Order: sequence, then structure tokens, then C-alpha cells
Amino acid sequence: MVDLQLLFSSVVFGFSLGSIYFLLSIGLSLCFGLMRIISLDQLLYYSIGAYFAYSVGVLVDNFWLGVACGMAIGGLAGLAVERLVFLRIYERDITFSMITSFGILIGGIGVIKLFWGVVPRPVPVPIETQVSILDTEISVYRLVVIAIAGLVYVGILLFLNRTIIGKAIRAGIEDVEHVEGLGINVYRLFSITFIMAGALSALAGALHAPLIMVDPQMGLEVLAFAFMIVIIGGLGSIKGTLVSSLLVGQIVSIGSLIYAPLALMAPFAAMIVILLYRPTGLYGSPLLKR
Amino acid sequence: MSDAGDILTVSGLSVAYGASRALFDIDMRVRRGEVVGCVGRNGAGKTTLLKSIAGFLKPSSGSIECDGKSLLGLPAYAIAGMGLKYVPQDKRVFSDLTVRENLELGSYASRDYDWTPVISYFPKLKSLMDRKAGYLSGGERQMLMIGRAILGRPSLMLVDEPTEGLAPSIVLQLKEVFRELSKTTTLVIVEQNLPLVCAIADRVYALNEGRIMAELRERADVTPESCERYL
Amino acid sequence: MGILRWWSGLLLAFGLVAVLRMFVPLPFANEIMIFSIYTIGCNFLLGRVGLISFGQPAYLAVGAYAAAFYFYYYGTNPYVGILLGIAAGILVSLVVGPLFVRLRSDYFALVNLALAVIIFFLMQKVLANITHGDNGLWFLTSLSSTPVLDLTRPNQFFVFALLVGFAVWAFYKYLDDTVYGACCLGTKINEDKLRFLGYDSFRIRLLAFVIANTTTALAGAMYAVYLGFVSPEITSPARAADPVVVTILGGVGTLYGPLVGAIAYTGMKDVLSKALGNWELIIGFLLVFIMLAGERGIWGTLEPRLVGLWSSLWRRRSPAEGREM
Repeated sequence: MVDLQLLFSSVVFGFSLGSIYFLLSIGLSLCFGLMRIISLDQLLYYSIGAYFAYSVGVLVDNFWLGVACGMAIGGLAGLAVERLVFLRIYERDITFSMITSFGILIGGIGVIKLFWGVVPRPVPVPIETQVSILDTEISVYRLVVIAIAGLVYVGILLFLNRTIIGKAIRAGIEDVEHVEGLGINVYRLFSITFIMAGALSALAGALHAPLIMVDPQMGLEVLAFAFMIVIIGGLGSIKGTLVSSLLVGQIVSIGSLIYAPLALMAPFAAMIVILLYRPTGLYGSPLLKR
Repeated sequence: MSDAGDILTVSGLSVAYGASRALFDIDMRVRRGEVVGCVGRNGAGKTTLLKSIAGFLKPSSGSIECDGKSLLGLPAYAIAGMGLKYVPQDKRVFSDLTVRENLELGSYASRDYDWTPVISYFPKLKSLMDRKAGYLSGGERQMLMIGRAILGRPSLMLVDEPTEGLAPSIVLQLKEVFRELSKTTTLVIVEQNLPLVCAIADRVYALNEGRIMAELRERADVTPESCERYL
Repeated sequence: MGILRWWSGLLLAFGLVAVLRMFVPLPFANEIMIFSIYTIGCNFLLGRVGLISFGQPAYLAVGAYAAAFYFYYYGTNPYVGILLGIAAGILVSLVVGPLFVRLRSDYFALVNLALAVIIFFLMQKVLANITHGDNGLWFLTSLSSTPVLDLTRPNQFFVFALLVGFAVWAFYKYLDDTVYGACCLGTKINEDKLRFLGYDSFRIRLLAFVIANTTTALAGAMYAVYLGFVSPEITSPARAADPVVVTILGGVGTLYGPLVGAIAYTGMKDVLSKALGNWELIIGFLLVFIMLAGERGIWGTLEPRLVGLWSSLWRRRSPAEGREM
């Protein structure tokens, strides 16, 4: 019989982990949806976010300012990479963007090593309060992370459904050439999407930083999870990304309750099963050719 | 070559997809206010021609001028912004967006928020405003596509096979719409439906295997039978 | 004449590698040979079938662990271990292949990486009492010497690796010449048209998948014999990109690209990372640079020039022969 309190705290842990995964994968998913590229460099912005949360935290002793800085730098880095690299390769095959962005990710890790060295850095948890819910001690910081992810999800939905730029992005996810034919500057949409994606990936890294150690390889460590989440959810689907992030978060968390080594493998097994059943993921559109 | 009456001048245009060439040395002129038909079999290069003019394909040689300004090298959105609208053939509306949102995008692109002309051409769209475009019939989609394109009062519309696969009653309705439209804009219509083209076009170009085979200049020459000869 | 010409490139290439052996340390030469065999599978998948796999380490680990289990628990003959590695490669490719090759190319890349991670965790944690986790399996001293070519001696191992490499290259060169090779290119360029011609693209891809991954597993088993130990590090996600990087570096879809790429990559890793100490920075930006500069890689850029130079030299001497080329 599993301890109910332990189970409850695992569920909260799973949701907070899922929230971070969601923020991390949304950029990957949006970039695929609109521009048909696989932007592995999002994992670099994730590390950048974490490192800025660390450095600004050390400098001015304010974690949330670090998060904001990280998001700003992540968004700017995304914009710079988009202008310098992706703008030249939008026309190309999808594998092309995958390889190129992997190069950016690896090179970026080199840059991080140059500035911060290879030693893992700890980031103090900004909110150390615990609350007692159902007789279980829950870290408030984890609840804050969940709330932030929830706000981001609602914000993205409002942006996509209520603003004209958002509507243009939704239309572009269906058929970008057609949007251009109407006379809309799609390259501006691409840049906006990239800034958003970079900032959200950085947010994920910054929020994750207090829960893990910040080290140069951290992007590579979550790479497989980010991959897996977009595959399970279906590339290009925002709802799918949310569902699969939370699913993977719970699988990891509850799985480790049952048998620790299983926790890291179970999501992959789940992915294989889901792909057997639906080759384009839970919410992926089978229509997308390329 | 171009004179003051020309809105579009295409000269020596060649287009290739990789190693295979699709268009060879096309010369074409469209005068302001004209309705120009473009006929040919599948694969003759009609769509390639329209797409190159609209900026979606990069020609390997030749020039395209609109109102004396070269369109070569301009991105497609800039060409559309100049009032040269392309209505593609596959009736791909944004199926996840409502009819209203589809029109909003057209308005946003052309900064024309007056939908009265659209509604007067296609009253049916008014009752469909909140329906997702993916649930529209083929005819309704075509109405939405043309309606979206006439926002911003384009000076030239390139329409690619508008009646393909549509019911005869809708084809008749579209024919009337094109007649009306031709009073205010210049039209280039690619069609396989020869009677329709000949009923509305002032001039017709016949394409075959990437070359212009003939140009029927006189209104009296523009008959399905004469077109047929070149196909 | 035709036969000689067919073999001449191969003989020249491997002759040059044998010459190279005289100028570089032995471990370096062995590393190059194994690495290039490791990469040719990835090169074939990407260049000939249009499938990119970020999960090649998975199949490398399959071969390596199949050999390692044999050496650690059952036997000592290195040749048997290598054969077992090949068999394991075929087996695993046949099990996962039918599922994987159905997927769209983007999903294919991601799912292979996921498999590499599964195998990593499997070997590191789940099967830790068999694989000894991160410590790995050590069996260097328990390998038995074999007659003719003694694989336990590094210099004789190099000869073996050279011969295996030669055979592998001859096989892939032969594949290019067959109808099957043309079909592979067909699935890359226009799958629908190939289907209309009556070919089953699923089976073509599956066979390509099995061939490529079996070659990779062979490289894994060779690593096991050469290094004398195997640890989960071999399939760590951080190394997932190695074969892709080498493929791109050498030149996608070229026959000798993997060989040139492996030499350049191993060489750069050796020299540059010692000098600058920041390997990721170099390799990352090199990758981006090669992709933006036209993705032809080192050999892809050199080959047409060398061929041009060669034929112009040849033509000057005997015009009749030159025309035939």
C-alpha cells in the first residue's frame, strides 16, 4: 500500500516537473508548427535562462529579477539566431534545421563553458516556505511554478485566439505560404515566434534552476525529454504539448515512487506505445507532409 | 516594351524546378481593366506562371513588371501589398479559423476593414461568419478566398482555377462576380473551363508545355472552339 | 579494366589509410577505423535514404554489449564476440525497424534518440547487476589470443580493422550500384513516385535500416574488443550527435565521406581540444558553418575537384582514355 501523503506530494512534484517541461517544449512545438523547423537550440536558451537566474541571483540577490533577465536574454538570443541562421535555411528540408540547430546547441554549450566554467552551480530556492495541504508538506515554490505554467498556457491561448498576430500565427501553422499571399510579412511572424519560444525556454530553465544544479550540459540532459514530449503530444500542437508534458511529469514522478530506475525509462516506453497507436502523436496532424 | 496602359508586363520569363524547366521565355502583357484568360492542359505551366508573378517562385531569367516597377526579388507579401493578389487553386482556407477570422486576416494584411463589398458579392458568407472554414463546402471556400482577396481593392487579381470541382450553379454565380469585379480591377484568370473563360475574358493566352502557343487578341476570336485548337 | 576501376578507388583509399598509420599513433589509427565504420551507417541512412538518426549510439551499444556479455560471462574468442555483436544488431534492427521506418523523418530522428536514451538507462540502472552500471564490464585480460590475426594486439587489430573497413566499403559501394541502391535514393527523392512504380518503400527503408544499424553494431563490437571494456557512456545522450557530425563533416552521401570525416573529427578532437580545451565550441560552430556553407562537407567539396584534376591530367596523356571517362 503506497502512502497517500507520499503519493500526493509525488503528484504535486509531477505537476511542477510537467510545468517546466511544458515551458521548455512549447518553443520547440511552436517553431515546428509555424516554420516547420526543429529548433534544438531552444535547449540552449533553457541553459541560458538557468545561468542568468544563477548569476543575477548572486549579483543582486533577487531570483525573480534573474528570471526576467534570463527571459530577456533568451528571447534576444532566439531572435539573433533566427536572423543569422534560420532565415537562411527556412526553405530547406527539416533534417537540415535539426542538424544546424544541434550545432548551435553544442556551440552554445561551449560558450557557456567559456563564461561560467564546467563546475555545476547551485541556485537557492527563492521561496522556502512549505504549506500543509491534506496533511502533506508541499513546497510553495513548486506550486508557484505550476501557477506560472498555467498562466503562460492561458496567455498563449489568448494571444493566439484574440490578437491578430496570434490569428496569423495560427493560420501560418496551417499554411504559411497562403498567409504570405494575403500580404502579411511572415518573416516578422517568424521572428515574433522565435522571441516567444526563446523567452519561454529560458523561463523553463530559470524556474528549473533551484530544483537542480545548473551545469553546462543541462540542456543535453533534458533534450531527450523535450523530444519525447513533442513526439507524444504531436509536433505543432499546443494542447498536445501541455497534455504530454503533464503526462511525462507524472510518469517520472510516480514511476520513481514505485521503482526508481523505472522513472527515467517509463516515459520512453510510453512514447513507443503511443507511436505504435498514433504515428503522429496524440494531437499531431497527420496532414502535415514534409 | 511596356506602355502607360499596361499594368503587368512579363517578358522572357523562364522558370525551372531544379533541373526541370517549367516555363520557357514567356511574354505576356496585361492592360489595366482587362480580363485576361489563360488556358492550357494540366502541367502546361499556368500555375507556375501565376506563382512566379506573385513572388512564390524565383524565375531563372526574364522580367516581371507591375506599373513599371520590377517585381523580381520582392517577397510575396510585398507583392501582395502592392495590390497584386493571388488566389491559389487548391481552395485552402485556414480551416482551423472561422470565416470571420479569415476575413480579419485579409483586412489586417491590406488595412481595409470595410467588408461591405465582400458581403454584397457573397451574401451567403454573412450567415457563416462564426463557422470554422474547414467545415465550408468547396463553393463557400472559394467565395471566402475571393472575398478575402478583394479586401484592400487590389489593382490586379491572379485567380487560379476558381471553378475547379464546383457545382454548376456556383460556377454561374462566380461568373457574375468576375463580371462585376472586372469593372473595378484587372483580372488574370487561369481556367480549364473554356466556356467560362471565353464568356468573361477580353483576351486569352493558350499555354502548352511551358510556352505560349497563341494569343487570341480579338474579342470575336475568343471562343471555346478557337481555344481548343491550341490545346 | 572496368573491374580494376571499380576497385581502384577503394584500394587507393585504404592504401592511404595504411600509409597514414605510419605517421600517427596506433590508438589514433584504430579509433579512426572503428569510427568510420560507425559513421558509414549513419551516412547511408542520411545520404541515400534521407533518414536522419540521432540515435546511432543505441545500435553501437547493442553491438558493444552483445560482445561484452559474451566476453564477460561466456567465452573468450574475440571473433565470436564480433559475430555476436553483428547478430544482435540485426535482431534489434528487425524488432524496432518495422515501427520506426513507418514514421515521418522528423519523428524518426527523435524516436531513435529516445531509443539511445532507453538503452543508456537500461544499461546504467535497470540491468545494473548484470552490466555493473557506470563502472562497466572489464574483460581486456580475459580475451584469448587467436591464430593468424591476434585481435588482442593493437597492431594486429589495426590490420583486422583495415580489412573489415575495406569489406564494409566494398559492400556499400556495391549497394550503390544495385537496383536496390537506386530504390533507396528513390525513397529519399520522391517516395510517391517510387510507390507508383510498384516498389514497396516500407521494405526498402526497413532493409536500409537493418543494413546501416548492423554496420553500426559491428563497430560497437569492435570497440568492445579493442578497448576491452564497455560502459553505458558509449550511448550517453551527449554523444548522440557524434556520427551525425562526422557524416556532415565528411560529406553526406559520399562514399569516402565517413572515412575523411572520421580522420578530421578524431584529429581535431585530439589537437584542438588539447590546445583550446573547448571542444563543444569548435564542433558546434563548425557544424553550423558547414551546413550554411552548402552542407557538402570536406570530401563532398574535395571529391569533384580531385576528379576534375585527375581526369584533366589523364586526358592530357591519352585523349582516347579521357573521352571514355
